[in-house]
Amino acid sequence: MFDIQTHMDFVGQAKAERWSRLIITLFGVIGLIYGAFMQQFSQTVYVLGAGFLLSSLITIPPWPFYRNNPLKWQKPVNTEQKQQPGDSSDEGKKKKK
Amino acid sequence: MHTVLTRGNATVAYSLSVLACLTFCCFISTVFLDYRTDAKINTVRVLVKNVPDYGASREKHDLGFVTFDLETNLTNIFNWNVKQLFLYLTAEYKTTSNQLNQVVLWDKIILRGDNAVLDFKNMNTKYYFWDDGNGLKDNKNITLSLSWNIIPNAGLLPSVQSTGKHVFKFPAEYASSI
Repeated sequence: MFDIQTHMDFVGQAKAERWSRLIITLFGVIGLIYGAFMQQFSQTVYVLGAGFLLSSLITIPPWPFYRNNPLKWQKPVNTEQKQQPGDSSDEGKKKKK
Repeated sequence: MHTVLTRGNATVAYSLSVLACLTFCCFISTVFLDYRTDAKINTVRVLVKNVPDYGASREKHDLGFVTFDLETNLTNIFNWNVKQLFLYLTAEYKTTSNQLNQVVLWDKIILRGDNAVLDFKNMNTKYYFWDDGNGLKDNKNITLSLSWNIIPNAGLLPSVQSTGKHVFKFPAEYASSI
């Protein structure tokens, strides 16, 4: 009915992991500096929480831009060439003989 | 990282690791600070009675009555790794039966954000100043000192003693016990 894709390709998975690590680390560092400046450790935790939410939004759902590098599968090999319509009639004749 | 659940798991786990790391940074930034401060302690009214200690042996023990002044400014102690202070006033003295006696007479909790500039006049003690014998009468060397426990977000639970102390003596006569 609807063709909803829910997968990430391999490049997309690597990208998602790298982005989530980067966002959380960055927000952690910013939070630490801000909390040290404000002398309020709860601010540090809140900034880290914001980074967690942003990272969750960006990297957890399988967004379409994580599917830009699909795998190049080999073309399917047709192993049953003999059963094409022309051949099959021919084969039938042979069997009848 | 191939499904929503594994990515969610990895994100939560990494966030918690970063949180632990940040908490450790907060601890390491305050662990070497010097939390000592001055405090001015003074006694106003000092008397000693000889009354039965029904809470313990029912024998007559010395009970000290002290009112005190306390002036100190603890504002500088608070930082991002101090949630609250537990102040306590200790009397320390020596008797013939014990080398060291320590009695907590009064305490107070100061949360961060509360007024930390203390100026108390003629305060009563919160707890009884019982001696376990008759060591208070005519004791010439009782030392009052203020100490505080620091309750942190993360790390050690240091107990710090103020630099200011007060030495007083008890009278040589019992006050008329009621």
